[in-house]
Order: sequence, then structure tokens, then C-alpha cells
Amino acid sequence: MKKNFTFFLIPCLFIVLMLPLKTFAGFPIGKYRNVVVPTFSYYHQKDRFDDKDNVIKGTPGTGFTSYAANLYVGYGLSRRLDFIATIPYLYQQNTIAPGNTLVDAGLGDMTAGFSYNLINFNYVRFFSIGVSGIIPLYKSVNGVSPLGLGSYGTEVKLMFCGSLPKDIAEKGYFNTEFAYRKYYSSQGPDQISLTTSVGYPVTKHNQVSLDILLYRSFSSNKAYNSNIFAAHDYSFFKPQLNFGHTFTRKFSLFVGGFYVPFGVNTGVGYGGSMLAVIKL
Amino acid sequence: MKRISYLLAFLFFTLASSLRLAAQEATEETGDVVLKTAPQNKNAIFKSTEEVRYKIQVSNKTNSLQRGKLSYLVTTDEGKRVFLDSVKLNLKGKASKDLVLTIPKKATGFYRINFMVNLPDYDDTVRRVFGVNPEQIRSQLHKPADFDTFWKKSRELLAKVAPDYRVLERKDLSTPDKKVYSVEMHSYDNLIIRGWLVVPTDGSKFPVHYRVPGYVVTLKPNMDNDDFIAFDLNVRGNGNSQDVINIGTDNYSVINIENKDKYIYRGVYMDCIRGLDFLYSHANLGIDTSKIFVEGGSQGGSLALVTAALDKRVKLLTMQVPLYADIHDGQAISASYNQQVFPFKVFRKYQSLHPGFSWDKFYATFDYYDPQNFAPMVKCPVLMGIGLLDQFCPPRCSMALYNHISSTNKEYVCVPNSTHEVNFDYFMFQNLWLREKFRIP
Repeated sequence: MKKNFTFFLIPCLFIVLMLPLKTFAGFPIGKYRNVVVPTFSYYHQKDRFDDKDNVIKGTPGTGFTSYAANLYVGYGLSRRLDFIATIPYLYQQNTIAPGNTLVDAGLGDMTAGFSYNLINFNYVRFFSIGVSGIIPLYKSVNGVSPLGLGSYGTEVKLMFCGSLPKDIAEKGYFNTEFAYRKYYSSQGPDQISLTTSVGYPVTKHNQVSLDILLYRSFSSNKAYNSNIFAAHDYSFFKPQLNFGHTFTRKFSLFVGGFYVPFGVNTGVGYGGSMLAVIKL
Repeated sequence: MKRISYLLAFLFFTLASSLRLAAQEATEETGDVVLKTAPQNKNAIFKSTEEVRYKIQVSNKTNSLQRGKLSYLVTTDEGKRVFLDSVKLNLKGKASKDLVLTIPKKATGFYRINFMVNLPDYDDTVRRVFGVNPEQIRSQLHKPADFDTFWKKSRELLAKVAPDYRVLERKDLSTPDKKVYSVEMHSYDNLIIRGWLVVPTDGSKFPVHYRVPGYVVTLKPNMDNDDFIAFDLNVRGNGNSQDVINIGTDNYSVINIENKDKYIYRGVYMDCIRGLDFLYSHANLGIDTSKIFVEGGSQGGSLALVTAALDKRVKLLTMQVPLYADIHDGQAISASYNQQVFPFKVFRKYQSLHPGFSWDKFYATFDYYDPQNFAPMVKCPVLMGIGLLDQFCPPRCSMALYNHISSTNKEYVCVPNSTHEVNFDYFMFQNLWLREKFRIP
């Protein structure tokens, strides 16, 4: 008869261990549910890293600035399979010489594909794979400041995420993504990236998170391009600190700032982003 | 460039290592010889078209040679022997041996399998259960001809009792995040029953987790539910509803068992309906009456099923190891136990103290209360969890009940090494299942 009583202790646990706020990462979205994440981000660079990782001061009055609005949409087709799509809109100013600013704006590279949860570890951690196609939504890369590489591509991503181990923290979550991107053009590029995020709730409605991004792009085209959307061969390390607030079960808001402390053949960038997580 | 390459490689290997760690299971080994068994199919459910396989590891923790045998005996869940085989063991000191044992294809049903190790310094038996085609298990319904009339009449009698709800906010138990109310109402036969309503303060309208109790179990305010209003009802004789019926676990299930009209569970089942009446009449407390799910384990599992069967206001049903399911087959299975366990331990004891109270007389009452007879009336989505080693609620009986449920939107979860309980994973899945069904973000 004693076993009867254990029954009523276990259900008490199941809400406490709910999935974290940032469910649009490697976490399965859930069958029939939607996640919409609009993001607004700002990026600016003046100086650059050369191919030896040395900082080269930019010419006074030059620089590259980008304002981006990104719309991420995810829909749970089944318990394991999600459809995901991202559509960016870019506005960028590339000041190549004092008084000579190239401006371009429009839709950038859309990514659309599927994410499949390969293994769930006791519904606490999830290992998933994502496969997406990259489709340029602009007509030409010959504009004054191209909005992307102008090539179709494919991305394959492995994601591991979930609650932090209890011996590290009682609360909090992590998300790690390893991605390989290939563009189908003679100069590529091929890109690999690794993103690690750790989030920790500081109160019931507030959390802080740290994202670390390592990015490497390989190409036969070694030329430096101050426009990061059109550059081919470069690498960088970018940490970003975020603060998130949950207003309701359906609506959360994150703001964050980042800096590129080191890189190769790329800009010494900094900026910030604001994103909303809307769960429908 | 090198620095970033090294960092990428380092983080990638960290990811790979953490994945490997997450996949590892914690094991604790004690004793001189350790026998580990794992069904080839993780949930120990096989098809009748496939052989049943178990992966075995025998580890000799001693320094001496161990020579003997490992036998494995398969019986039906009523104890009839269907297969016996053995393999020789010859284990050097500190050595281990991995084996795959194969049992020929079996017909639909649940089977007990005992792994017996006989070595000079060690004798042990590991008992397991596996299932074959459980969704094909069929059982006979012993539904009295006037079953529907009986329960219609019961509901009419309940309706004549004015509920006289009393809802009292308990500030001493409330927190900034949850308001706790003690709830009181009059139910069948005018008995007072009580429960706890916990309303999150972080919103204006919530779906409801309506929980009904296990066998003479006290339900208390459930403070762990952030996205649901939690309503925990103590039916008559349970928890804080013991004003009139206050009796221990040894006799609760046999109160008035010789009279179907006065049997304890008539009032208990109606208490669960009265709890629903309460929820429907208190939408002002933030209750979303279109999203009520009823849940329970053991006796609570059966109460939840009966509630969903008798009242379509229940939108989802989740139950674990439902007690009393398929009571006729349950009796036959319990007869094969070396030692009697609940619930037949109580029924048999009553029989021994009341000569003349035959099984026929028992069923003349209990057939009105067997949860299996209510199963065809359940139309809402259902999730059920069972433990394969459960002797209180044998898996065959739970599956027989499950297979009688009319709803086609139903799922079950099988926990191979659990007795009268399910595990943490089940509740994690149940949580996701509820969110999926109610479209909760």
C-alpha cells in the first residue's frame, strides 16, 4: 500500500522542471504549436582584424553599419519535427571613404527547413538535427553594398540543449549548436559555426543569458570586405550578453549587446539586438 | 586563424563529451555477483511476430572462479509455465559476461520472466515482465444489464443534493504566486467533501488540473502548477473529507460491499462528479471550463476514468496504474501470487470473515464499479501509464481497460521496471502531452 503514496509526490515535480523561456533554440517546439521571433539588431564596425588577427585602425570617417529586422517562424509538425524559417530585412550603410557611403536595403538570405529531435534525454535534454536551404531574396549581388553572398546554400546543424545539470545549477538551461553551411558558388564559401548559450533565471520573470559564437568561413576569395554579409574568408569570436523578461506565457522580450574581441579578416564589430519570443 | 580553430575544436569536443555524459545511465553495483537485465525493446513490449530478447550482463566481483548456470523461466501472468532454458556460466575472478537470451515468439499477453543465477557463492533471481501486443488484449465486459440506468439514477440522486459550496481563501497557505482556497461542498447522500483549489496569480484564466485521490490518500494543496489551476479533491473518507467515513485502508474498499446501492464507491464516484460541478460553477475564480483535465494514480486513475466516462465536461484524461480495472481477470491473476497483495488481499480477507460471501456475490456488486465497464463511455483523449511489475494493478488488466476505451485519441506509456507507480519520465511526457492537447504555449 505504501507505493500508493509515492504516486502523489511525483506529479508535483513535473511543472517545476518546465522547459526554459527561450524555447526557439534547439528545443522541440511541440506538436501544433507556433513560435514567432521578430528580432531587431544593430551592427557597427570601424576597425578591422587583418589575416594575422591584428587590429587595423579604420580610416577616420569610414565604417560599416547594418540594421536588420529578422523574422523567425517555427511550427511543430509533430512531437519531433519542426518547420523553421527565417526571413531577414537589411538596411546597411557602408562608408568606404569619408563622404562616400554606399547604402542598400532589402530582403536578405532566407533560410527554411526542418529540425528533427533525434534523442530526448528524459525530456530534460534534447539532441536535434536541423537541415535548411538558403535562398537569396535579392536579385543581384552587384548592388552598391550587397545584401548577401547571392548564392543558394544548405545548412546542416546539430543542436544539443536542455536544463543545466543539477550539480552545476538548480535552474537554468543551455543550448549548443554546431552548424555547417555550404554556398553553391565557385568561391563558396563553406562555413562552420559553434554557438553556445547559457541562460539563468534570476527571478520568476527575468533571466540573463550569455551567447558565445565562433564562426569560420572558408573561401578561395581571401579579400577583405567591410560588408560582413558579402565577405567570404574570415573568422571571429563573438560573445553576447542578454537580459530577458517574460511578460506572459506567450510573450517574452530579450535585449542584448555583443562585441567581437578577436577575429581574422573581419571587422571589430559591436552592436545589440532586441528580440521578442511569441508562442502561439 | 589558429586561435579560432582551436576554440572551435575545443567547444565541439565539449559538446560531444556532454552528449556522451547525458546518454550514460547511473548504475550502482553491489554484491559479489551482479546480474543486469535489459529488454531489447526498451519498454519491454514486443510483437507476436518477433522473438523476445533480453540483454544480460553477469559480473563476477569476486577473485574466485564462479561456475554454474543462468536459467530463465517464462510464465503467463497467471503463473503457467511456457518456457524454460538455461546457459552455463564460467566466470573467472573479476570477469563479466554479456549474453543475449532469446525467447521464442509469444502470443498476445503479459509474461513474467525470472532470471535465476546459480553459482557456488551466489544464488539470485531477478523478476521481470514483458508484454506482447498489449493493444490486442481483449477482455470480457461483465456489465450488468441495468448498469447505465444505475448510474443515471445515481446522478439524479446527486443532483437532488444542493451543493452549498463554501470557498474560503486561505491566506495562511497562499503565496505571492498562488492563492489557496479551501473548498467544501455537499455530495451524494448529503455528505460533506472538501478539496483544495490553488489559483496562480500570474494571469486571469487558466486550464484546470483536477486531481482525484489514490486509495485513502490525503490530497493537499498542489503548489507546483504554474500554468494550471490545481483542484485536488478528497473524496469521502479521504484526507479532510472524513467527517462521516473515517476508516483505514484495510476496510475502506469493503464498506457495504454486499449492497450495490450502498457500496462506498457509489458515493465516491459521485463525489468526483460533484467536484466537476464545483469547477463549472466557479469560472469567476479564473477557471477555464473548456480546459479541464482529470488525473489520478491507482484508485485515482480509476476515479479519473469514471469521471471522464460519466461526464463529458472532462476534456482530457490522464491516469496511471488504474486500480480495480478488469476486476475478473485481476482476481485470476492475483490467485497466482505467492503472497496476496492489495486489493484482493482486502477482498479475500473480507470473504474469510464473512462465510457465504462468494465471488458471485462480490461481482453482483463490483460489476457496477469495475472501471472497465465505464471505459467504452470515455470519448476524450486519454494518456495512461503502467508499471510492468505492478501486482496491485496487473498490466494485463490496465491494458484490457485501455483497449475498451472508445476514444481513438489515446496513448499509453509502459515503464518496465516499475511496480505500482510510473516514473519521472512519464510525468515529463504527460506534461508535454497536456500542453500539446490544450495547445498551451
